[in-house]
Amino acid sequence: MTAVSRPTRAALYLYGALILVVLYLPLVAVGFASVSKARYLSFPVKRYTGGWMAEAVTSPTVHQIVLTSLKIAVTVTVISVILGFFGALAFARFQWRFRGLFQKAILLPIFFPQTVLGLALLIWFSAIGVTPSWKTAVVAHLVWISPITTLIIAIRAYGFDPALEEAARDMGASTLTVMREVTLPLLMPGIVSAGLFAFLLSWGNFPLSLFTSGVDATLPKWLYSRMVSGFTPQIPALGVMSVAGSTVLVLAGLILVRWLRRRT
Amino acid sequence: MVGQPFLRIENVTKRFGRFTAVDRISLDIAEGEFLTIVGPSGSGKSTLIRLLVGIDEVTEGTISLNGARIDEMPADKRPTCMVFQSLALFPHMTVGQNIEFPLKVRKLAPEARRARALELLALLRLPADYYGKRISQCSGGERQRVALARALAFDPQIIVFDEPLSALDYRLRKTLEKELKDLHGRTRKTFIYITHSLEEAMVMSDRIAIMRAGRFEQIATAEEIYSRPVSRFVASFMGEVNLFALGSGADGAPRWQDSGITAAPGALSLVPGWNGTAMVRPELIHFVDGGKGGAEFTLSGRLAAEYALGSRVQYAITTDAGTEVTVERPFEARLEAPVGSPVRLGWDRGSVHLIAEGAGDGAA
Amino acid sequence: MERLERRMGLLAALPIGLLLMVSFIMPMVVIAGFAIMPQKVFELAHMPDFSSFAVIWEQGYYKSLLRSLGLAFLTTAILFVVCWPLAYGMAKVFGRFTLVITVLVVLLLFVSENIRLFGWNLTLMKGGLIEGHLRAWTGLSFETPLYTWPAIVFGMCYVYFPFMLFPLAQGIALVPDDARLAAMDMGAGPWRILFEIEMPLAAPGIVVGCLLTFVLSAGAVAEAKLLGGRSVVVLTDDVESAFTYAQNWPLGSALSLMLIVIVALIALVPISRIDLDAIMGRRK
Repeated sequence: MTAVSRPTRAALYLYGALILVVLYLPLVAVGFASVSKARYLSFPVKRYTGGWMAEAVTSPTVHQIVLTSLKIAVTVTVISVILGFFGALAFARFQWRFRGLFQKAILLPIFFPQTVLGLALLIWFSAIGVTPSWKTAVVAHLVWISPITTLIIAIRAYGFDPALEEAARDMGASTLTVMREVTLPLLMPGIVSAGLFAFLLSWGNFPLSLFTSGVDATLPKWLYSRMVSGFTPQIPALGVMSVAGSTVLVLAGLILVRWLRRRT
Repeated sequence: MVGQPFLRIENVTKRFGRFTAVDRISLDIAEGEFLTIVGPSGSGKSTLIRLLVGIDEVTEGTISLNGARIDEMPADKRPTCMVFQSLALFPHMTVGQNIEFPLKVRKLAPEARRARALELLALLRLPADYYGKRISQCSGGERQRVALARALAFDPQIIVFDEPLSALDYRLRKTLEKELKDLHGRTRKTFIYITHSLEEAMVMSDRIAIMRAGRFEQIATAEEIYSRPVSRFVASFMGEVNLFALGSGADGAPRWQDSGITAAPGALSLVPGWNGTAMVRPELIHFVDGGKGGAEFTLSGRLAAEYALGSRVQYAITTDAGTEVTVERPFEARLEAPVGSPVRLGWDRGSVHLIAEGAGDGAA
Repeated sequence: MERLERRMGLLAALPIGLLLMVSFIMPMVVIAGFAIMPQKVFELAHMPDFSSFAVIWEQGYYKSLLRSLGLAFLTTAILFVVCWPLAYGMAKVFGRFTLVITVLVVLLLFVSENIRLFGWNLTLMKGGLIEGHLRAWTGLSFETPLYTWPAIVFGMCYVYFPFMLFPLAQGIALVPDDARLAAMDMGAGPWRILFEIEMPLAAPGIVVGCLLTFVLSAGAVAEAKLLGGRSVVVLTDDVESAFTYAQNWPLGSALSLMLIVIVALIALVPISRIDLDAIMGRRK
């Protein structure tokens, strides 16, 4: 009831739906391309095949690349959630001297062109004599993703009443017990969403991986190298599978977060 | 109210889906009147004023001002102005900019706007240096005055108030109630005020409309509502009153059901077959000495509790019949007896107000 | 209690602080160092000079910087206009539909941008999703809009859409409904309400959204490569070639530094003024 007239409301809904269609249009194109039988893609698609997907699933190169991507994403998720948990407490919960400064410093890597960050890290690793590999890619992803997990958990931390912790401490619980028994469970929905974000953002990241993963190609990086050298049906096939995997994970995550929220 | 009414609300209904928030309401308001609509939350009072200022659209019925329909006019064109519960002061503007906003909309020259804003600050008894203050620097009472000044700057024909005092503490509220009444006297604008507090309504209003479930239960002066409520709902809305179930037989003799009331013969006669409620205000009941009559109606019980209210003392009495009765006495006339003591209560016919089942007064 | 909080705050900030110190601040220092080294050296132990900046000026690299900033500005302006109504709907009008939009847009964020841009390539190319179907159904045809600068702006608008949408929606949610209604009640028309009430009150969200979009699109590279087909060279292209093909670290560093400094100058003032506690919904 905000006195938005009925025609305006209808127009807004229509606009929203239209934008969603446009946002997903390229994925539709990728979807069709992944099942088009023709070697040289042109629309409308006339004959369909699942062959490209099957080929991608059985290819040893693809296995290697998916494994690397997974390794990076899982490591990034674990580390960034731990950093983000403590970071969020410093961001939202504790009143300390440099909190204002900290809040803003955390934003800098997010507000930073990723390509430039990737290249700067590449130079930095060379300067200190570290050979780029999947491990350096993890570091690069962490610089960008840990601030994001911090913010996500911080939003949750803002929402809970510090009196709960104080009450627990008042009843004689130690700092560690308070953290384990009160803080952690209350922040859990935030932690799960942060973990989900961390995994998926790392999995899909391209500009950072491009420069910092060395010879260990990630999925987006490998796809990119294929794209610039011309169309092969493997690109949409892998792209579609990657998107489908992300979607399943997001849905599972949403259900988990809902369930956790209901419990607290 | 002579001739054509100033504001006329006729058969107005508002439905949200299947829910009817306002149900065939009609009301005439005179120019310069201070009318307060009182009702519990969900009674439809907020919806009614939103219809009045044009935030929501009426489903059925008409609203007209000086004979011209305004219910189809958009909110920004209506000569009404609302003072919101939240006050809706613009936090990014200074006090002066807030007050000048409606004048700016009307494309008044900056000097003229400033002059008018300062005039209004003075009218609301705010110092002139508040002109440049931020809203966040003002106290609750000051914000209230700024909101009023802004509404007056708009110079509407009707100012509508949506419980603007409800968030304030008791003492400040009391002060502002009086100020508002005073301001009404000085500006002679038509004020329509809504609140859930009948007490607040009584301090300020010329007339009070009691609303319940989308309908008006009673529209009358404060005095009328106080002494002659038309229904149990209105009576109970006023706070602590004693309500006794009452009926009459074929001969019109009152039957006090199970309340244990003893009535002097001929003290009250009713139409045959009457059914309803007798209302007796706590301050109209007094203690009578045991044995002797001294009152047309008497009731005995025990003193259950005593509460000091400052200038008055309130007593909770458990009657012998097991019901609860509230009595209020001035501090000077308080009962000096310990809790648990037997007491006898008495009152006269003049203190009894009859409310028939349904509505209307059923006294013979 | 208070002293404990102070120590805990510092302690909690330490892990992520160290990470950013070692892998964000230090690389920036190194970049700044290389920017003032002679051309084509690979360590910092040389006499500083400003040859890189001279090269940037003489060989016209500043043009690609201006081009990048121009495209970023255009992207930000277009996205603001496109996102405002939708953000408004999400904050004030849509009920459950807001959740649907949020989930679908976030989901898109998780799809690698090069897959999505590749999808646009398939959509917009000659014989692509749109032109192919149009020709098959109506016989009409059109030239592909790909490989032009508007295609790059379109790609950036598409990729950075969520970074404008969500902050805007958050900002608009900060505007109290009553403020709008009060303004309307006092006779203000929709445009006046937009410019004098809604936009100033949603300012924190507007600032964050515009900054994010501007900064990210100023540093974008994939859009130009995948949709622009190298018809337009943006700054990040130059940075990349300097570091990789040309193996000229000082030039690449100087170009990066210029972008960083410009972006920092634009971003720092608004960021330092924003009250993050208020935006993120601290309970008072």
